[in-house]
Amino acid sequence: MSTIVALSTPPGSGALSVVRLSGTNALKILKRLTSTLDFTPRTATLTKLHHPDSNDLIDEVIVTFFEAPHSLTGEDVVEISCHGSPSVVRQVIDASRNLGATLAGPGEFSLRALSNGKMNLAQAEAIRDLIAARTETAAKQAARQATGELSKRLAEFKTRLLDVIVVLESAVEFVEDDLPPTQTNQIKEWLLFVLSGVGALAESYQSGHLLRDGIQVAITGKPNVGKSSLFNSLMERDRAIVTAVPGTTRDTLSETIDVGGIPVVLTDTAGLRQTTDDVESLGIERAYRALNEADVVLLVVDGSVNADWHEAGLNSFDHKTQVVVNKIDLVQYGHSDLPQGILVSAKTGEGLDDLRAAILGAFRGSAIQADGLLVTNARHHEHLQQAKIEIKEALVALDEHRSEEMILAPLHNALRYLGEITGETTTEAILSQIFATFCIGK
Amino acid sequence: MGYDETFDVLVIGAGHAGCEAAASAARLGVSTALVTLNLDLVGQMSCNPAIGGIAKGHIVREIDALGGIMGRVIDRTGIQFRLLNRSRGPAVQSPRAQADRSLYRSEMRRVLEGLSGLYLRQGKVVDLIVRENKVRGVVLEDGREFSAKAVIVATGTFLNGLIHTGKRTYSAGRAGEPASIELAESFKKLGFPVGRLKTGTPPRLDGRTIDWSAFEPQPGDVTPVPFSFSTDILSQRQIQCHIGYTTQSVHECIRRNLSESPLYSGKIRGIGPRYCPSIEDKVVKFAEKERHQLFLEPEGHDTNEVYLNGFSTSLPAELQQELVHMIPGLDEAQIIRPGYAIEYDFVDPRELGPDLQTSRVSGLFHAGQINGTTGYEEAACQGLIAGINAALHVQGRTAFRVTRNESYIGVLVEDLIKQGVDEPYRIFTSRAENRLSLRYDNADERLSEKGRRLGLVGDVDWDRYNARQHRLNRLRSALDEISLKRADVRYAAVAAVLNCELGDKVTLAQLAKRPGVTSELIKSLLPEDLQREMGETDLSTALADSLYAGYKNSYQASIDRLFHHDGLRIPKRMSFGGISGLSNEIVERLERAKPMTFGEARRIPGLTPAALSALLVYLAANQHAA
Repeated sequence: MSTIVALSTPPGSGALSVVRLSGTNALKILKRLTSTLDFTPRTATLTKLHHPDSNDLIDEVIVTFFEAPHSLTGEDVVEISCHGSPSVVRQVIDASRNLGATLAGPGEFSLRALSNGKMNLAQAEAIRDLIAARTETAAKQAARQATGELSKRLAEFKTRLLDVIVVLESAVEFVEDDLPPTQTNQIKEWLLFVLSGVGALAESYQSGHLLRDGIQVAITGKPNVGKSSLFNSLMERDRAIVTAVPGTTRDTLSETIDVGGIPVVLTDTAGLRQTTDDVESLGIERAYRALNEADVVLLVVDGSVNADWHEAGLNSFDHKTQVVVNKIDLVQYGHSDLPQGILVSAKTGEGLDDLRAAILGAFRGSAIQADGLLVTNARHHEHLQQAKIEIKEALVALDEHRSEEMILAPLHNALRYLGEITGETTTEAILSQIFATFCIGK
Repeated sequence: MGYDETFDVLVIGAGHAGCEAAASAARLGVSTALVTLNLDLVGQMSCNPAIGGIAKGHIVREIDALGGIMGRVIDRTGIQFRLLNRSRGPAVQSPRAQADRSLYRSEMRRVLEGLSGLYLRQGKVVDLIVRENKVRGVVLEDGREFSAKAVIVATGTFLNGLIHTGKRTYSAGRAGEPASIELAESFKKLGFPVGRLKTGTPPRLDGRTIDWSAFEPQPGDVTPVPFSFSTDILSQRQIQCHIGYTTQSVHECIRRNLSESPLYSGKIRGIGPRYCPSIEDKVVKFAEKERHQLFLEPEGHDTNEVYLNGFSTSLPAELQQELVHMIPGLDEAQIIRPGYAIEYDFVDPRELGPDLQTSRVSGLFHAGQINGTTGYEEAACQGLIAGINAALHVQGRTAFRVTRNESYIGVLVEDLIKQGVDEPYRIFTSRAENRLSLRYDNADERLSEKGRRLGLVGDVDWDRYNARQHRLNRLRSALDEISLKRADVRYAAVAAVLNCELGDKVTLAQLAKRPGVTSELIKSLLPEDLQREMGETDLSTALADSLYAGYKNSYQASIDRLFHHDGLRIPKRMSFGGISGLSNEIVERLERAKPMTFGEARRIPGLTPAALSALLVYLAANQHAA
């Protein structure tokens, strides 16, 4: 098998970058690059990398060799931790390619792991999520799916679905055999069980995708109400430039923060106002786009001035808008005169915890707790949804006393959808279960 | 080399595969020899005297629609017809008939003898003549040599057949007939992978010694449904079968004597069919079952012989007699022929292409049990496909195939050649993904045009087919166009009968889909001229289409969503070893099955989802590049 090479940490500058090689020649290439003769598997070794032709030093690195099949891909794998400079990384990869490695295509490491039985499809997808995971909770969730928990959870429902199929198929195929009569009530009970289980997993996607992609929060409001200050205080560091001059923020600015384990993508937008400044109006256009895409819109108003915030023209975002009354540290008189909303001071930090709780409201609204298993992959969600529709279809046919083949048609569809997550169920497997369950045959 | 006789196509074996193969090849205009051990046993039913059943009856209909002969022969010789699953939907209904075993044989022979270009020859084939990987002819035991450009092997259980009753074993192809030992050797010499399967048969009883009053009569249908689209009237007098049961004491006696059974003493190595278990298997594997069903099936009008269906056994003959006596109503019953188990060689069907020609030897075709199937219908349809393709091969025409989406025959052939067999292969409706479209009543619509193009469907049948198509089209438009409106006089009547709300307007096609709506009701709502003109089965065919339309759409949607890669072509000379990430075992499976599309690869057993994704990525990438 060919040997592939790729950068396996995010591109860009950093303290460290990891270049990974996988394939039969991985070790041979490493030896050529290092002129070290022996690498103990699974042991980190400090060594120097040289260009194989010119013998010029590339970098001082730490390498680890994983011997097949005890590696991520099931093949020989070499991991090179080099200094996190794009130029070093490029040199390491180019040198490996000169020695016969080919650049890995997207997902090729996972694909090899799949092929070598190191994981199933659901696991591979979860690992992709894990790499992109933004917070620890999301990482935990991805890790649970990587260990096949989604497949395991589905197995229970799939088994029951198969039971129903076996009973109905037997009734159709072996009409001359002395089979026990079909218990319609039992079938219905089993199908309802499958429906609720698959349904709950499908619904967890609502939370699951927030967990994976983060809650999109856009901060908006009139110029100079303190949006950027609020942004900075939620970030707990100065990221946005704050001045007293209205219109300072001209572009949208996004950062991911961790709120109670949930990734929150915070977007600071340009203040919404009529402007003749081209750059600022471009920023305002972007602000509107961010508002449209957001899960939660924080509409910031200045509590210290008696502003009519309806003028901001934000009514179209009402259903997801949370009014935030800023600058309450400057409010001289009683709070009762203020607009309805969460009272905060970006300056003193007062009320920020209430604000965080309100942001998470979008997430907590879902019945599933973050520690339960969540479906985070859109494709899985789609298959679960389709399976649900098919099972409902079968229940309708059952209630209408339709002939078995019409109940079976949607159930086989459902099984196909679930099979895309857990692996296909062959006709042979269904037949085997029939023959194991019933005494068939003249 | 001087041959004694020269033919285009030569068929070895005159069972259900062989007869169908010889008839189709001869009718396509090539000179065809049908060589059999015993010309008096052409079309012999070695096991139970019945044809059809769920999915099997579908196949007989398909054979008929393509221009085969099995349907016509059983219609003329059937003595009890039943449409199974009558209470269920049209897609899973299927005709079944008891045959008069001896009449079936003589009628089959009469049909074959009426075909010009078909030559019956008695003799035992002992070797295939193969040169330069091409079949040239066969050698007979008596020294004759026949030349043929194509040879179809349809030898059933005869290849190395070995019969077991109790501890006694003897070489035989069927009870009383010699096995083909030499021919079995020639397959091994040619390098074909050969395996071993097993099947069994129950004892046959003397009907005069049965107390019929102890059994529940099972009559045939009042309005029997024939197999062939050409049959109007069934001419045979109809008889009853009877149903009875084994008892606990029978089961205990069998369990006590299990050591006598070659199945349990380890003598039989061949794998038997799970859906056709011996009585020994039934009482061991389903020990909790208090009784097992038995069918008493008369073998014909002019014989007392009765087939004890459900009691297949390989126990010693004297013990079989003892057990039969323990069954209520069979206290006095005498066994005419004891049951037995038979082991035989089969050749791995993955050696075959979709035309049932071996890839190892050009011009050599395999059909029936040699491919690991069981059942007369399964055998016959392979005979038909092999016969057609042998003739086309000789004529230098393009091979003929039917797909799994359009026919059970296509399902069977693809399953065999792509997946191989672990046990005798029987067709089931659940093997067809497209089950709701593959109905017994629409086999003509699915296949007759193909049969006509080949030249197998004669003028009379073709005219009948077109007339029916014409009626069906008129009927379908009427169902779609005629609607009941609220203002209609008949609207109120129909709504009252159904006791439900029908909306402002409902077409007859929509109405027919509602639960509880009978075809009689729909018929009464059609114009009178249409009612008069349409045949008995036309309306049920048209209604079945609309009944299943919605289900077919959601099936198609799920396929499109999940398997939209199925159509991806796999290049003919694909080297699977070159795909990154496939294990040797997987590469071997792929190379053996030679899938032509990704969909075919997906159905190869043992291919992991991982291997499939790797293959898919490779195919998608290469297609992109191309």
